[in-house]
Amino acid sequence: MLWLVLSTLRHRKAGFAGAFVALLCAAALVCACGILLDTGLRGSIAPERYAGSPVVVTGDQFVHKTIVKKEGKKKHKAKAIAERAWLPASVAGKVRGANGVRDVITEVTFPAEIGDSADDDRESWGHGWESAALTPFTLREGRAPTADDEIVIDAATARTKGLRPGSTVKVASAVPGGYRVVGVTEQSLKHQTAVFFSTAQAERLSGRSGMVTAIGAHGPVKAIEDAVRGTKATVHTGKDRGKAEFLGAEKSRIKLISMGGALGGTALLVAILVVSGTFALSVQQREREIALLRAVAATPRQVRRMIGREALLVGFVAGPLGAAAGLPLAFWLRDRFRGLGALPPNLDLVVSPFPPFAATLAAVAAAFAAARITARRTARIRPVEALGDTAPGRSGLGVVRILAGLVVTAGAIVLTIVLSGLNTEAASSPVTMLTAIVWTVAVAVLGPAICRAAAAALSVPLRFFPVGGHLAAANLGTGARRLASVVTPLTLMMGLTATILFVQTTMGHAATNQASEGTIAEHVVGPKVPHGTAEEIRRAPGVTAATEVLRSTVRVDLENYGVQGVTPGGLDRTMDLDVREGSLQGLDSSTIAVSSTASARLDVRPGDRLSLALGDGTPIEPKVIAVYERGLGFGDLTVTRDLLAAHVDDPRGTLLIAGTPPDGLPTTDAGTLAENRATTNAEVNYVAMGLILAFTAIAVVNTLAMSTSGRARELALLRLVGTTRRQVMRMLGWETLAIAGIAAALGSAIALVTLTAFSSGMTGGAPHVPPLGHLGVLALGGVLAAAATALPARLAMAARPADTINTRE
Amino acid sequence: MNTSGMNTTGVNTSGSGTGVRDAVRMEKVSKVYGRGRGAVAALREVTTAVPRGRFTAVMGPSGSGKSTFLHCAAGLDTPTSGTVHLGETELSGMYETKLTELRRARVGFVFQAFNLVSSLTVEQNITLPLRLSRTRLDKAWLNEVVARVGLADRTGHRPAQLSGGQQQRVAIARALVTRPEVVFGDEPTGALDTMTARDVLTLLRETVDGMGQTVVMVTHDPVAASYADTVLFLADGRIVDWMDAPSSDKVAARMTRLGAWK
Repeated sequence: MLWLVLSTLRHRKAGFAGAFVALLCAAALVCACGILLDTGLRGSIAPERYAGSPVVVTGDQFVHKTIVKKEGKKKHKAKAIAERAWLPASVAGKVRGANGVRDVITEVTFPAEIGDSADDDRESWGHGWESAALTPFTLREGRAPTADDEIVIDAATARTKGLRPGSTVKVASAVPGGYRVVGVTEQSLKHQTAVFFSTAQAERLSGRSGMVTAIGAHGPVKAIEDAVRGTKATVHTGKDRGKAEFLGAEKSRIKLISMGGALGGTALLVAILVVSGTFALSVQQREREIALLRAVAATPRQVRRMIGREALLVGFVAGPLGAAAGLPLAFWLRDRFRGLGALPPNLDLVVSPFPPFAATLAAVAAAFAAARITARRTARIRPVEALGDTAPGRSGLGVVRILAGLVVTAGAIVLTIVLSGLNTEAASSPVTMLTAIVWTVAVAVLGPAICRAAAAALSVPLRFFPVGGHLAAANLGTGARRLASVVTPLTLMMGLTATILFVQTTMGHAATNQASEGTIAEHVVGPKVPHGTAEEIRRAPGVTAATEVLRSTVRVDLENYGVQGVTPGGLDRTMDLDVREGSLQGLDSSTIAVSSTASARLDVRPGDRLSLALGDGTPIEPKVIAVYERGLGFGDLTVTRDLLAAHVDDPRGTLLIAGTPPDGLPTTDAGTLAENRATTNAEVNYVAMGLILAFTAIAVVNTLAMSTSGRARELALLRLVGTTRRQVMRMLGWETLAIAGIAAALGSAIALVTLTAFSSGMTGGAPHVPPLGHLGVLALGGVLAAAATALPARLAMAARPADTINTRE
Repeated sequence: MNTSGMNTTGVNTSGSGTGVRDAVRMEKVSKVYGRGRGAVAALREVTTAVPRGRFTAVMGPSGSGKSTFLHCAAGLDTPTSGTVHLGETELSGMYETKLTELRRARVGFVFQAFNLVSSLTVEQNITLPLRLSRTRLDKAWLNEVVARVGLADRTGHRPAQLSGGQQQRVAIARALVTRPEVVFGDEPTGALDTMTARDVLTLLRETVDGMGQTVVMVTHDPVAASYADTVLFLADGRIVDWMDAPSSDKVAARMTRLGAWK
């Protein structure tokens, strides 16, 4: 059998090129996603600041929950918290007391930037000089800081900012001020700037007296673990210390896991859809040959096996090649994500043989699945068809196919309903993609029936054009199956593009709208306004009210909720949260206001107590005093600024000002701020999903080119009977327009249904679809379809028609 | 014009023995396409037998059911009612896989066009049924078949490099290579010019005379039919006549009466 498969593959390269390219792309995407996933799971970051201490003790960066299942089994769940967890300084005493432990060093960490502007994305942290030995940092020149206004800077900062001992410089932090450089260190760190203050000043700037961020030690790990048992401290050694140092990296890893999984899964589904489409088309074009094989000698099983082996062979060649291409793709993605700040520069990709291996396997599996789906049809090719002069195009749908179509449609409806009930982004993002894809699968399965109906409807206007339009209408009417096979990828592309783009605009639009509607204050200052500065502005003449706004994320029962901390005084003049129940009047350190979404999900009403873990893991149980509507724009929970500020890494926030702000204060409007926040997340999604879209675009070009070049004989015949080349092109043009039109209608419908469900779950409103943007998506699809038809058609008509028609299929 | 008294009865029993001498026997075979009001009967209770070792032509005007006759006789299609025997084997009630296995072991086909798999060489095309049934290739027999059809120097060529007549010769070789009980031809010369057609028909005639092969050929060409030992005439789904030792003139005249060339 293999010899037949091989010679067919060799002979019909063009027919398999489509499937080959699709599988290659799928393997590349799956491999790249696999590497991201692998990095998320196993990636590690080398410690920098903690490099000089073999053992590092820090706070617990997780909230925990033990779930007791029915069978009495216990399951432990831990979720990362958003801010750095601090430890009481007394833990350091316990570590010191442990047997065989020496050189115990404590550290405080807080944001501190030298100069006025944080001119790059580089993190910049302030510490007390007592923690210099953690790295260790040593002095190259000058001396250690002792007075409150003295600092030591690292070598790189001294070089880039042109500072020497004796220079004076402004340092921005929770309490900004002027400092004198008294020393420069020998070392500097690759991914962060370190500013050292005197121990007392560092403790003051950190805002948490008696607390430390880390304790470094030399000595037996076991003894230290025993010593800190009973506290919330965790002990890190080796590479694990990097996790304790770079908290942002931990969040990125989780993001990588979810994104890698979602992207890879989507790519795989799209691959199966696209590849089964191209296989179906290639089988359709070889129908007569298969009928001949059936008539002469091959059993239906042999034909099925032949198709299956062709697919596997194509998969085995495309898989490894695609997987190899996936490696540079993963590095390209890494660079993009780093550029967007979504991936820390020191989290490097984990490259192991697993992702390429899995990608190859996935490509082969996708090819096999596609072949299985296609082979069902080949069994229906009857040997008698080889004898007739014309191959009759069967267009009726089989019972199995109709049933499958109904099942998939039902699945899509269920998914849509589920989606409309999801109100967290983590849950609804993957379901949104899945919903759009399953709807497309339904369209693909029921395609011939849909296309026949659509072709019948379109033939009415087409017949007004005597030659091209008339021929096009006839072709559309008789070739429903071919029509369906090219409409499907185009629908997929248009539907997915619209869904991906407009999920972001819907979210952004709803948040921006709520934020700008709810912000009554005319002016916004920020971000990173220190508390002291805010106080000064508040007292300035002309300012009627000033509200500091701080944002963080808390965990309620392991689930993430966005929280804002506001200064309650004069809140009614700067911010309107659209309170529905209760009042914000009594907002203080023991109370909380919740959005209506959170109220419904957490089942809390004014008067109830809500227990939650703040960003640094501190548990609180405030009383709910109000329920408000504008949760998307402002966050699902609202507490006082002072409560929140004590539990975040950076207590500086934005400032809403009512009245006239002091001269020379740079201000923006409320909408801009909300948009900026939404943009980074959206861009990361665009990059990731852009790859899927590129993949579907390739599939569109593929399928259309394949379909057109498969019609070379037909086009030659048309020209032999007197149709000019121009008329043929016009006929193809009308056909392509009809194809694009059907796909646009189906794709728009899929996107609209998906977006409406997404929107009603996430925002409670209608989706936001900018009409021009949507038209752009459809136009792009149309242009792609036109190009993918016109070029192969020109190629197909390059030879003299008499020669073309005489070459046997 | 009739050479026999048994005309227009719809029953032809030219090989009136009880069967073993017959390569194909059909009894009351009907084939109806479609259902209900739109149903079209292509064959109506046809009963006939094809004798072994002879060349039988089936003629009839367009739509007379001659293609359906061939499909049912060769096991390419299953009749709506009636029974078909290939030798001793009854075909009715066989499933597609069984039918395929039967076809590749005991039947050969030559179609009008699209006879060959374009990606395979001449030799690969000829041996295709053997490969698919995993039968050992009898090299001497292959050489003899290839020599008989006159393609000994072309076995490595691909179909696209051959003329139409040569392609039909390859198809005949493929049909013969399994030593089938019957070779069925569906307008095997329909796409060829007169000279080439004559060569192909002569080749078919030689297989009957020289190798004792049974050949059944559907055609609408009186010249082609004149190469046969017997001609069956089909009209409106029934066998309306038959003729032994036909000449092209007699066949043409008979066809005119059937309304083939109005």
